[in-house]
Amino acid sequence: MNENRIKIALTKGRVEKQVIPLLEEAGINCDQIRNKQRRLIFNSETQPYQFILAKGPDVTTFLERGAADIGIVGSDILTEHQNSQYELLGLNIGKCQFVLASTQDFDPEAPKRKIIGTKYPLITKRYFDSLGQDVEIIKIEGSVELAPLTGLADAIVDITETGTTIRENHLKIFDYLDKVSTRLVVNRMALKQHPDAIFDFVDRLKTVIENNKVGQA
Amino acid sequence: MNNNLLSLGTRDEFGRRAVVKQHVASVIGDTFSDRGFAKISTPLLEKQSVFEPYKLGNYQMYRLLDQEGDTIVLRPDMTLPIARFLSSTNISLPQKFWYVGDIFRISRRLSGSYNELTQAGIELVGYSSIKAEFECLVLINLLSQKLLDEPVEIELGIADFAEVILSELTDDEALKQAIAQSLYDKQVPLYEELISQFKDRSEFQFLMNWPRLFGDPAKIFDQLANFNLSKPMQNRIDELKKVIAWLKQILPNQVVSIDLSSKAPQQYYTGLTFKGFSKAGSGYLFSGGRYDKLLANFQDVSESAVGMGINIDLLTDLLVNKSQTKQKKLIYFQEEQWCEAEELLKNTPDGILSLSDNLENAKLEAEKLDAQLIDMTEGEYIE
Repeated sequence: MNENRIKIALTKGRVEKQVIPLLEEAGINCDQIRNKQRRLIFNSETQPYQFILAKGPDVTTFLERGAADIGIVGSDILTEHQNSQYELLGLNIGKCQFVLASTQDFDPEAPKRKIIGTKYPLITKRYFDSLGQDVEIIKIEGSVELAPLTGLADAIVDITETGTTIRENHLKIFDYLDKVSTRLVVNRMALKQHPDAIFDFVDRLKTVIENNKVGQA
Repeated sequence: MNNNLLSLGTRDEFGRRAVVKQHVASVIGDTFSDRGFAKISTPLLEKQSVFEPYKLGNYQMYRLLDQEGDTIVLRPDMTLPIARFLSSTNISLPQKFWYVGDIFRISRRLSGSYNELTQAGIELVGYSSIKAEFECLVLINLLSQKLLDEPVEIELGIADFAEVILSELTDDEALKQAIAQSLYDKQVPLYEELISQFKDRSEFQFLMNWPRLFGDPAKIFDQLANFNLSKPMQNRIDELKKVIAWLKQILPNQVVSIDLSSKAPQQYYTGLTFKGFSKAGSGYLFSGGRYDKLLANFQDVSESAVGMGINIDLLTDLLVNKSQTKQKKLIYFQEEQWCEAEELLKNTPDGILSLSDNLENAKLEAEKLDAQLIDMTEGEYIE
């Protein structure tokens, strides 16, 4: 079965927790992932799937290089890493939005070259390009909210789900950018090589997502 | 700084991989020569303007300046230099060319991709008949049989299929481009959002199914029968059916599929497109099609042309992973036995001469090479 397994790279952490119930509703056995301990790769005992747990940016790398056939990852990472693989399905989870935020006294119209802290330099550059503004971008790996609070940057571009972390750090949202959600992405060549198995997986999930939408409505 | 480090995206090739790659290039070159193609070599360096029609996608070009201050590039493609060559010389057409060489494309940093790639290919220039496409399809079949154990699937497409459909749908150029791009990239959530404004149109069911219109031709044609296709769309489908019927007749064992939602490899493609892939490869092994307007980038007169590129690195990867190494025979001899050793070498398949200066070193050499040692210094050869 090993050679014919569909390799699915799943973003570990929050995405993993939100996706497992959907996969189970779709009839995909996730017992091994639930009992993973410290393991990162699992061959399903009953179904032709191999699951790989990885960080979001690495999911895009696995897909690009053909080390994974399917990836489940946030659209923020897909955009930032210039995904070139097929994006077949929105999973209707992990919904959040990019925002421009800073301290209360930040003036977006101030006549100066702003310094912006972010984990997402490409998305930030595209946003300010669309405004016709040239800014200096500082790449920050975590706790982006610290940048304006410590004077490292004038403002930040980051994603937020409810705005709570931003408010708790006494920051204010000045603009809303692109919306973000979790996507199912497929390696271009894999879709040509295993169309039936991949579409079966996609369609099972799609049915669950559509049923959930009806339930929520 | 260390002076023995490679620059990003490059690699040395040696040992088994180098041997297999040379074998792949030789088989391809010999096949083209046997079928009457003329070899052409163009420079690694070209003026940047040569590649104006070329869409690099996520890649960039290596750029440098020449003595006149003009920007020159390491070629990212082999077809446009041949078009440049034809437009600047008085070569009479039609002509069939073949080439092999390295191309350079800067890929995303630290992505595991290589920036120097080896490509072979053919250009059939001045041929307007479908026979030129057929020659390429036959060559995909022939080369895959010569080089690979597994079958290669040929995937056919039509360069302007999306353009024809979208032009019937709307005059809004930006919308057409956005729909086409989301279709080619199968960004299905975005694609479905963009086409939702056409849900009252008779084409809507076709539009909804379009991203999945690829695979077995019979199944796709059955699906198409459920849609109301316009005359231009039907004409293109009929052309595709003719090619498939021809392939079934001439190459009955060839696996063929179609993709009506794929993008042509480059924007200068005008007609039938074709690609070849195996179940094991991580990309397309063969890719080509018709581009009748290619020369128009360099001269006033257009010429009919069909071309095909072959990914030699990918073919090499497939072969290196699969092929078994035959055990070599290492021939150890004294200097005065050189002529005798040459004679033995001629008659020993997989034989190689040991240049070690004593038997002990020859034994070590054989061990390193996992070779069988033939010792000529002991009177009768000990194997």
